[in-house]
Amino acid sequence: MSVRSVVIAKSRLKNLITADRIHCTPDNIQLMSTEIYQILSKYLEIKPEDFKISYTHTDIYIHYMNDRRKN
Amino acid sequence: MGEVIVITSGKGGVGKTTTTANLGIGLSKSGKKTLVIDTDLGLRNLDVVLGLENRIVYNLVDVINGSCRLKQALISDPRYPELYLLPSAQTKDKSAVSPEQMRKLVSELKDNFDFILLDCPAGIEQGFQNAIAGADKAIVVTTPEVSAIRDADRIIGLLEVNGIRNSSLIINRLRIDMVKRGDMMSVEDVTEILAIDLIGVIPDDEQVVIATNQGNPIIGNASKAGTAYENICKRLLGETVPITDFSHTEGLFSKMTHLFKMN
Repeated sequence: MSVRSVVIAKSRLKNLITADRIHCTPDNIQLMSTEIYQILSKYLEIKPEDFKISYTHTDIYIHYMNDRRKN
Repeated sequence: MGEVIVITSGKGGVGKTTTTANLGIGLSKSGKKTLVIDTDLGLRNLDVVLGLENRIVYNLVDVINGSCRLKQALISDPRYPELYLLPSAQTKDKSAVSPEQMRKLVSELKDNFDFILLDCPAGIEQGFQNAIAGADKAIVVTTPEVSAIRDADRIIGLLEVNGIRNSSLIINRLRIDMVKRGDMMSVEDVTEILAIDLIGVIPDDEQVVIATNQGNPIIGNASKAGTAYENICKRLLGETVPITDFSHTEGLFSKMTHLFKMN
């Protein structure tokens, strides 16, 4: 089954907007994201799926979603 | 003291002028003294959408230059006694007016109107800076397309930089049939990405083209787009009107249950 065009639109748009908001190319955003993850993982017990970065016009958020209650 | 709202979008052709015209008419019909200002120097359009193109004598640049008195340039609309238009110049280039001059003009006008709507030109250059200079808040118009939403996001950022943080969003030309089959972004998709308050959704409606051909408003006739504009006016006046969920094609029965729920 072919991918609905809205799925492609949303993914393109999210990349574009992130790049626009922080004046950074999508490739560099990916590199930066990986590096920040590596730094965090030196000090925290963290899995890639627990980690997300989001960008607004004025702030960069690092989301740490690990549910520590499980431990 | 009136409220000054700039209608902006970044991308051209998404419905800023149509929105300005219809919100202006809607607010004036509610008894609010409303002025709409066309700030697109060199490409004047708001007068045409309002059907007032034959009444223009003086324009925005004449007022700023002092070639006429402010009152002489304001065009009243015989159909809507509370509505006034300050048209743009068709011949002058966009450097003919500065943001400082616009801010001064708008602050002079503010006391005499309940609402001032500024129709912003496309782009992020001086025309944009002029249009937002005197504004208290912004309405950002977009359509559910990648390019329009991307530009809207840029505009929201630029508005914030210029101290306008209470922007709200209109999603224009939404096609429910396309949203349903997964070929157009939904209202939720757009608001999730842009993360500003939604003030209205205008469905794609060929009645808009017909009304614009005639120089008539879409607001006030029984069309879907007209009703959507009416609801935005009510929200601007402080009423709580739920955003119409166009994704349900409703039968009479479910429409009636909705009505009962609202009461």
